[in-house]
Amino acid sequence: MGMNKRKAVYVPFAQTVPLKYTIDRKACLYFQAIDKGKKGKCKACEKFCENDAINFDQTATTVDLNVGSIILAPGFQAFDPSKWDTYQYTNFKNVVTSMDFERILAATGPTEGHLVRPSDKEQPKSIAWFQCVGSRDINRCDNAYCSSVCCMYAVKEAMIAMEHAHDPLEASIFFMDMRTYGKDFEKYYNRAKDDMGMRFIRCRVHSVIENEDKSLKVCYVDEQGNIQNEDYDMVVLSVGLESSASAIELGNKMGIELDKYNFAKTSDLTPVATSKPGIYVAGCFQGPKDIPYSVMEASAAAAAAARDLASARGQLQKIKEFPPERDVSGEETRMGVFVCNCGINIGAVVDVHEVAEYAKTLPNVTYVQENLFSCSQDAQDQLAEMIREHNLNRVVVAACSPRTHEPLFQETMSNAGINKHLFEMANIRDQDSWVHSADHDAATQKAKDLVAMGVAKANLRVALQPIEVPCTKSSMVLGGGPAGMTAALNIADQGFKVYLVEKKDVLGGHGRKLRKAFSGEPVKPYLDDLIKRVNDHENIEVHLGAEPKMVSGFVGNFHTDLTTGASFDHGTVIVAVGADSTKVKEYLYGENPNVMKWWDLDKKIEEDPDSIKQAKCAVAIHCVGSREPDRPYCSKICCAHAIESAIDLKELNPDLDVYMLYRDIRTYGRLEELYQKARSMGILFVRYDPDNKPKVEEVGGKLQVTVTDHVLGRPIVMSPDFITLYTAIAPKGTEELANMLKVTLNQEKFFLEAHMKLRPVEFSTDGMFVCGIAHYPKPLDECIAQAQAAASRAVTVLSKDKVVIEPIVAGFVDKEACRGCGLCVALCPYGAIDIEETPEGRKAKLISASCKGCGICAATCYRHAISINAFNDTQIEAQMHAFLNK
Amino acid sequence: MAEEVIDLGKMTRDFKKEAMKIIPGGGNLDLCLNCGTCAAGCPATGLADLDPRKFLRMILLGLDEEATKSPWVWMCTGCQRCIYACPMQIDIPRLVYNARATWPREERPKGILGSCDMALKNASGSAMGASPDDFIFVVEDVLEEVKDTQPGWDELQAPIDKKGAHFFINQNSREPVTEPDELIPLWKLLHVAGIDWTYGSKGWAGENYCMFLADDKSWEHVTRTSIMQCAELGCKVYLNTE
Repeated sequence: MGMNKRKAVYVPFAQTVPLKYTIDRKACLYFQAIDKGKKGKCKACEKFCENDAINFDQTATTVDLNVGSIILAPGFQAFDPSKWDTYQYTNFKNVVTSMDFERILAATGPTEGHLVRPSDKEQPKSIAWFQCVGSRDINRCDNAYCSSVCCMYAVKEAMIAMEHAHDPLEASIFFMDMRTYGKDFEKYYNRAKDDMGMRFIRCRVHSVIENEDKSLKVCYVDEQGNIQNEDYDMVVLSVGLESSASAIELGNKMGIELDKYNFAKTSDLTPVATSKPGIYVAGCFQGPKDIPYSVMEASAAAAAAARDLASARGQLQKIKEFPPERDVSGEETRMGVFVCNCGINIGAVVDVHEVAEYAKTLPNVTYVQENLFSCSQDAQDQLAEMIREHNLNRVVVAACSPRTHEPLFQETMSNAGINKHLFEMANIRDQDSWVHSADHDAATQKAKDLVAMGVAKANLRVALQPIEVPCTKSSMVLGGGPAGMTAALNIADQGFKVYLVEKKDVLGGHGRKLRKAFSGEPVKPYLDDLIKRVNDHENIEVHLGAEPKMVSGFVGNFHTDLTTGASFDHGTVIVAVGADSTKVKEYLYGENPNVMKWWDLDKKIEEDPDSIKQAKCAVAIHCVGSREPDRPYCSKICCAHAIESAIDLKELNPDLDVYMLYRDIRTYGRLEELYQKARSMGILFVRYDPDNKPKVEEVGGKLQVTVTDHVLGRPIVMSPDFITLYTAIAPKGTEELANMLKVTLNQEKFFLEAHMKLRPVEFSTDGMFVCGIAHYPKPLDECIAQAQAAASRAVTVLSKDKVVIEPIVAGFVDKEACRGCGLCVALCPYGAIDIEETPEGRKAKLISASCKGCGICAATCYRHAISINAFNDTQIEAQMHAFLNK
Repeated sequence: MAEEVIDLGKMTRDFKKEAMKIIPGGGNLDLCLNCGTCAAGCPATGLADLDPRKFLRMILLGLDEEATKSPWVWMCTGCQRCIYACPMQIDIPRLVYNARATWPREERPKGILGSCDMALKNASGSAMGASPDDFIFVVEDVLEEVKDTQPGWDELQAPIDKKGAHFFINQNSREPVTEPDELIPLWKLLHVAGIDWTYGSKGWAGENYCMFLADDKSWEHVTRTSIMQCAELGCKVYLNTE
């Protein structure tokens, strides 16, 4: 990015896969000469490389592949703000882009993660972020769309900067609308604002002046219209996302249609399909989006491709072979400890070297290594190599969370021929450096303790073998809305049986209320077709008016009894039960018939257009029940829906005065076009403050709305013929279902995915998946994509003949100690323990495949007769001793 | 006034409708995001309790009278910093112009009004009232003095009404009327560059206060006089130095 000089031999970026050096042909002396037709000289790298790894003859090769489907995921490029003379990115050293700033914060970046301003390498005391640089602009660039991700990344960057700074850092974000519309995003924004003191200034800065000391003078107007001048040490331009020239070229080469912004054109009803059959798209080439949604879309594209290729499944399959496992039971313990810096995530807080030195003093530790990123490919290769070289038979990685990274390290163990359960993680990041960043000494001490405890437990780890059980090749899908039906159809089309369970007596869900998708495509014909295909499909069994009464079993082997009396076995579960509207007690709702909820307006547009043609004034109130203290999230779809309906009103009656009373307009991505269109039609937007909400009254039998105009600061009054309330979307009855399925919910009772970015449609419980608005409110296109993604993930289970279950389960009953009291049987939430009669009397018997390893039985048994593999009493006691006896 | 409730039901928004008809492309007035970039960059922000954002907002809400009658519309310099940075390229300068045009001519600011009236007095179009004869006299006088006193500039020219010259160049009145010596540098530059140019005896004055006055007819008259002179002389390029 030009922030630093690099050598002619370089690694493109720190976590590149494979992590290999490459030669910059343009900078290499040898190739410079060759390219001029001269004899090349230098070749110093070849001389000095001990492993003879330099090959000057390597050239690009063309590989011919025959494929049945193509998925395009070329990503995006950041907007280049060089041409904006108002912000002087090219001339003012301390004006950087958000991408530059990411590099400044990165451990592998030019400043090694130290927060310094470019002009003098001093730590900045104040930083300003400018939003919408290269987005929502039709003057200085042609990107009329919203780039969707910049609000969140700016808050994130500011938060990290504030945490990294040694001295207090003033962070200000200059914005137009704060678009924290994603799941749990609003809480993040609130935390930045209310708990961390980040400043959010609602103004787009006109221009920047450089002071003599290279700090930057930022002139803006506050919300009252007063000029304010503030100096900042740095300015970060939150640059937007756009398609790169190479992505456009790829699209053109593939013969797919691009939209006017050069993103791949898709329909809201087939969100990952390009204009050319068999070619799918995922990620930012489809439109600007964040990581969770990109990952989800990748699975959706895979589902779409897999559906086309279902008949060819497995033909080119390669099975990964692991070396035979070494029996270490007779060996002396030889432990390796790997302490990770996680870039600066750990390294900036914990003295990793000190922790590593300490690890060398722990019992049975024969090898210790520090890593920059333990999860990188080269660190993995090295881990395997060290296991072999030092004959290690236990490994402790002190790094991040086993929740996300244990499987990766365990696979490396297997690659090295060691049972993967001889591995232990010490979480010195999430549980240490992240939460104790203010006290480096204490954090280092805690890291040592965690490592000592990890080592103590690893000493007692034994090899465990996975449990393999057959897989029932069918899925239950809960919910017959667009998401549920899409998921069901995809799984069924891929050749697996589906039981589609819908609470109501009809299929369609909230789709029945939708007139059209945000792209304008009508929903009814789509939905009718979807319902017909579901009903006609030989692999789909629809259960209407039904709910699950009891769901038992485990991945690949579930059994469900429905309230209708039907029952079936299935291998996976997809939860697509949707969400509901909320009750309203504000704005005269229920008291005056002309105060409506949004679908009432949609119905009015459809069924009674004459009343709209005769009306003079219409008002919409946004965020009714959303973004409130007791419901601190954005319902995401209301802004665009409200605007779409307002446009319809204007089209029916161009003379109608339409007022939108909003808090932030959150028409992310291409939805921004709707907002622009609405404004161009003369629809007026008035921003209200939650502390000063619009006042709705009945005056002389007519509705009257009073609100303070956000620009003039003066009260304005409207007399609408009707008012539409854009009410919150909230989960309903999810707790009961979550208990039945043993899955978790977030604070607001939406279903909680296993990992927001890495496993966006999976539950932590194996074999269970989520999609649609049961996960979080989202528009139709995103529901459809997410349903395809859930189907894709479910098929990864269903397509295998066996299910492999982790042996972290109740593994052992001490028959002598067991008195057969049955307490464990009564308490086990999974029905995984039975009592059997034996010659020695009544004894507990384990059904390991049903066991989830929760440990209730072991904790309850007063005879200590049951233990959990990898979490037994001896191991836990050893950890406590390691901590207490240090 | 600040607490007076604005009743939107009574607004006709005629001014906005009319302005959008006149402004090329409509001026994007409706597209305003209220982002404040115009107000942040405007030298007139805060004067008369207004700024470009508030001004446009008033127009959009329909406060036609209050907005257009504000003395603020005469404080705008027409510098275009607002439209330059505006993400929606909203033509606020032209909107201000249209607001000025709603004022009865005699109520418009005296300085601008007087300057426009001066320009209408004779064929010069000069805001300072200098006649064609005055202009010709000053130019010839200054040129002669240069030739006499400055060695090496014997060939310097300052042609007036030279037929068929390539460039027709106009001239702000301030120089011939108050700072005649300031005319010389431009002549020298043109001479050194070998440019074929001329002033006009009519329409030689470059400034046009009638434009700032939003007096369309007079603006056109002053401009037309100058352009016609250029056309009559058969010049190829009209070079506006203002």
